[in-house]
Amino acid sequence: MKKNSLEGFMKGIFILSALMSVISIVLIMYFIFAGGLPFIFEYGLKNFLLGTQWKPSNIPASYGILPMILGSIYVTIGATAIGVPIGILTATFLAKFCNDKLYKYLKPAINLMSGIPSIVYGFFGLTVIVPIMREFFGGTGMSIATASILLGIMILPTVIGMSEASIRAVPATYYEGSIALGATHERSVMKVILPAAKSGVLSSVILGIGRAIGETMAVILVAGNQPRMPKGLFKGVRTMTTNIVMEMAYAADQHREALIATAAVLFIFILIINTVFLIVKRRGEN
Amino acid sequence: MKKTISLILVAIMVAIFAVGCSAEEQSDFDTSEIINLVSREDGSGTRGAFVEIVGILEKDADGNEVDRTYEEAVIQNGTDAVLTTVAGDEYAIGYISLGSLNDTVKAVSVGGAQATAANVQDSSYAIARPFNIAYKGELSSVGADFLNFILSSEGQAIAEEEGYVQVGEPVAYEGSAEGSLVVAGSTSVTPLMEKLSEAYQKLNSGVSIEIQSTGSSAGMQSAIEGTADIGMASRELKDSELAELTGQVIAMDGIAVIVNKENPVEDLTIDQIKSIFVGQSTEWTVAE
Repeated sequence: MKKNSLEGFMKGIFILSALMSVISIVLIMYFIFAGGLPFIFEYGLKNFLLGTQWKPSNIPASYGILPMILGSIYVTIGATAIGVPIGILTATFLAKFCNDKLYKYLKPAINLMSGIPSIVYGFFGLTVIVPIMREFFGGTGMSIATASILLGIMILPTVIGMSEASIRAVPATYYEGSIALGATHERSVMKVILPAAKSGVLSSVILGIGRAIGETMAVILVAGNQPRMPKGLFKGVRTMTTNIVMEMAYAADQHREALIATAAVLFIFILIINTVFLIVKRRGEN
Repeated sequence: MKKTISLILVAIMVAIFAVGCSAEEQSDFDTSEIINLVSREDGSGTRGAFVEIVGILEKDADGNEVDRTYEEAVIQNGTDAVLTTVAGDEYAIGYISLGSLNDTVKAVSVGGAQATAANVQDSSYAIARPFNIAYKGELSSVGADFLNFILSSEGQAIAEEEGYVQVGEPVAYEGSAEGSLVVAGSTSVTPLMEKLSEAYQKLNSGVSIEIQSTGSSAGMQSAIEGTADIGMASRELKDSELAELTGQVIAMDGIAVIVNKENPVEDLTIDQIKSIFVGQSTEWTVAE
């Protein structure tokens, strides 16, 4: 009898733990949308999403977040263009070309990268990348390109980790068959193994995109944060995440609601990215 | 083997020195360069005061207000971030609270007056804002005593020590009180208020003061609603707030216009600052 009650109690604890994350995500969704949707309806969805002016201090104020949506998208594309090729090649190297001695140092170093707080990346960007970009391309050095380079570095551990695992998961018979047919080691890896690991690699890219679009503290220091339509690769930009963090401290009333509504839009972006991730992953498993 | 290592080390050291020298030689300031503006985010009290005093904020008869800060301006959301950006960029210009000024950057004179506490006090330095407190109706006895302390010579000495400018002609503080107070409002006034309450509580051990750093507008709102005894604002009080509250200036704070130390510019007029910050003058030749 006593054993049974303990059993039931522990079962409850386990279920509660499992429900915890679900409950928090539901609560987060509720508060973001409850705070943001009334503002969107009041201000007009079209004005909000497609407005090109973000001027909260003006009377009357304008709250168009198209510049920030585009900013987030451009910076993410830039980060993907820089981080993904490097990441996939590194993962291939680690899984198929690297000797054990080097691997012993490389792998922990890459894992360490994912543990570095993003504000530290931001200061690195501000003190190292920004002056270099200013030297070469003029202006303030804070630009879409700078943010892309920094984010490209930041998504490396995500891309490398998952890609490497999926490359290692390709059955050895693929490789052996390719070698047996006379292909070289390099050719077997690039033409047989990498294509076979495609869905895993693609998933890693999507996760990397999710990380890039949600990154805040590093971007805020190197992007310039001008709330106007993006004007070029070497001009400043403001993303949705930085817009929220930047102005939340002082915002009141409608301004505050507009920032929460920005968070809601960002949330929808993340939901879309995660859905695509799940679809790609499921397709890979079948 | 040892010899090669030491040779390499020497080579590295020489290289470092060489780089150091060449960097120093490059310090020539090119006035045809683009001005890199650094501004604060919308909603910041410092930005609000700066755009209003300098005339970047344009008001029309219908009550519409347009902040014309140049859209290419880099936006940083804190005094420290503005300082770091300007300290690291030869061609940058920004603005910060005078109390936070340090020697990593250079403050320019405005219309001939240097950015110092004394010049703010005699109004020759034009870009200054009041630190206000406001309360509804009559203050409680402890509140009134605390206000006396803030305006006394002891309280104003603290304000001056912190880099702000004292107001009025303070007299020595004498008094005592017991009770508790809630003070809420501007994040810019909060550091000063913390020092003041610390010193006040040393004199009156029976008093407890809770300080909430919520922003100027939120602080005024709390004072009107009665959730705070005293509200703090780092700007002039609005008419709608003055209708409900009694205001009192407790100190003045100058806003320093800062440039990089390499920048030879020493003096700008208000009109020049305005034309730089609205984007009419985009090159440093404006300051010649």
